[in-house]
Amino acid sequence: MTREFLSDRDEKRIPSNTLAWFFREALRRIWVSKRSSSVAVGMIAISLLIVGSFLLVAENLERAVTRAQGRSRVNVYLVSDATPAQISAVDAWLQAHGDFAAHHFVSREEALRRFSSYFTNLNGLVGQLEGNPFPPSFDCDVSSSVVQSPAFVREAAALRRISGVDDVQFDWEWVGRLQRIVQIVDLAGLIAGGILALAAAFTIANVIRLTMMLHREDIDIMRLVGASERIIRGPFLIEGLLQGVIGSAVALALLFAAFESLQHFIPPANSLLWSFLFTGFLSWEKIAALAAGGMMAGFFGSWLSVRATSEEPA
Amino acid sequence: MIHFYHVTKQFDAFSTALHDVTFHIDKGEFVFLTGPSGAGKSTLLKLILRQIRPTEGQIVVNGRNLNAMKRSQIPPFRREIGMVFQDFKLIERMTVFENLSFILTVLGIPPKEHKKRAYGVLRAVNLSHRMNYYPLQLSGGEQQRVAIARALINDPLMLIADEPTGNLDPDLAEEIIQIFSDANLRGSTVLLATHDRDLIQRSNRRVIALDRGSIIEEKRAVTEAAPVRSDSVFVNWS
Repeated sequence: MTREFLSDRDEKRIPSNTLAWFFREALRRIWVSKRSSSVAVGMIAISLLIVGSFLLVAENLERAVTRAQGRSRVNVYLVSDATPAQISAVDAWLQAHGDFAAHHFVSREEALRRFSSYFTNLNGLVGQLEGNPFPPSFDCDVSSSVVQSPAFVREAAALRRISGVDDVQFDWEWVGRLQRIVQIVDLAGLIAGGILALAAAFTIANVIRLTMMLHREDIDIMRLVGASERIIRGPFLIEGLLQGVIGSAVALALLFAAFESLQHFIPPANSLLWSFLFTGFLSWEKIAALAAGGMMAGFFGSWLSVRATSEEPA
Repeated sequence: MIHFYHVTKQFDAFSTALHDVTFHIDKGEFVFLTGPSGAGKSTLLKLILRQIRPTEGQIVVNGRNLNAMKRSQIPPFRREIGMVFQDFKLIERMTVFENLSFILTVLGIPPKEHKKRAYGVLRAVNLSHRMNYYPLQLSGGEQQRVAIARALINDPLMLIADEPTGNLDPDLAEEIIQIFSDANLRGSTVLLATHDRDLIQRSNRRVIALDRGSIIEEKRAVTEAAPVRSDSVFVNWS
């Protein structure tokens, strides 16, 4: 059999068996330094758990925004003592204007019933009231394409002037506010997550540096028998990467467990808040992004420490 | 194969390890490097392995000028050399097999061949039964033989050994010298540093004697050097 030394050029390509060796070595080192590896994994997990929580809230708020945008609603509140004639006049006006054609009258009793069903924990308070504080109103489902047109705004202003109309409220005003909240939550999550991911990367860098110091003698021997820097550094890079993967997995598992627990333990009295904030878990894209973030933080951390290791004197 | 041209190595202004050393070792030669402790034998071997650089002079090994060698060229160069270190330099957290297997991984040899080769080379040094032991579970002599097995496993172009029989009893020392002779017969150039004069006399090989950093004597062997191999081949250790 012909001798097959790896040339300089060949070293740029790492054979699959060498990659397998990288993984074996990395796993062995993680196992040997379990305590320090756990610290690194824990840091990654905490960072991603925080980022994940922000993402989860933001994603659910986004879903609420999307739902609200799909069916924009205008609420026409009448004065509390609106007469049947005034109610009929408003009804006729809405009927006559095509954009408001899909409307539904909500009597004072129905408004009270709605409130009681949404906020069951406040039922006691409602019972203590002397009268019904809710005014009659019309719910108008308006096409989302026309809600922001100037013509529509003019029609709404005319509606406000009709006798018996107290106020006209547009859904998309709070939708806009909700969108801004989503943006703030997203940004806060990114900033907090970024800082924590950086801290996690530096923790991993220190853990890897410690491992490299522990293996200093082995590394010197490996160099003496002809191991290239790639072969020496590869397992350390994989070690950081694996710590990132384990950290991400732990974070996602904890986040999912917390999400599931909250779904079971939040009382139905808060169902409106619940339906608003926790309609579903993270999308697959975001789960993949979190996992990739953990891997990148791990790899970056180990790269930082490996890069700082002294090479063979030139 | 190994050419030293007026090589001087100073570690500081007051300690000169080697002074104006010039010698040549041809392909396929078997050479003893001898001298008392502190003569500069280990420094000379470190220079050949490119662990350190000369203060003055030129070193050419297997056609490569070590002074001009780039950092990236050092690992492939070292893979052509089988080195037996005086302090063995075995990786303690790896078993005997893993120490040998690591060399084959570095060379890109498929893992399925590792066991066969490791077993073959360990059998040659009478240690096949210690394959799964850790270095610290072995005696000094056994560790020495593992180090020799590691140097031999890739059938190197050059075999360099620093006191390889230092920890062995005379019978085992003879066996080890025989292993080096066999490697030499297969075409490896052998440079063996030792201060065992009896061993050198019995072997009847070329000798380079150092003292206080200078060559004081060069003795040619009576017998002819082994034939130079034209192509490198792996030995089937199995």
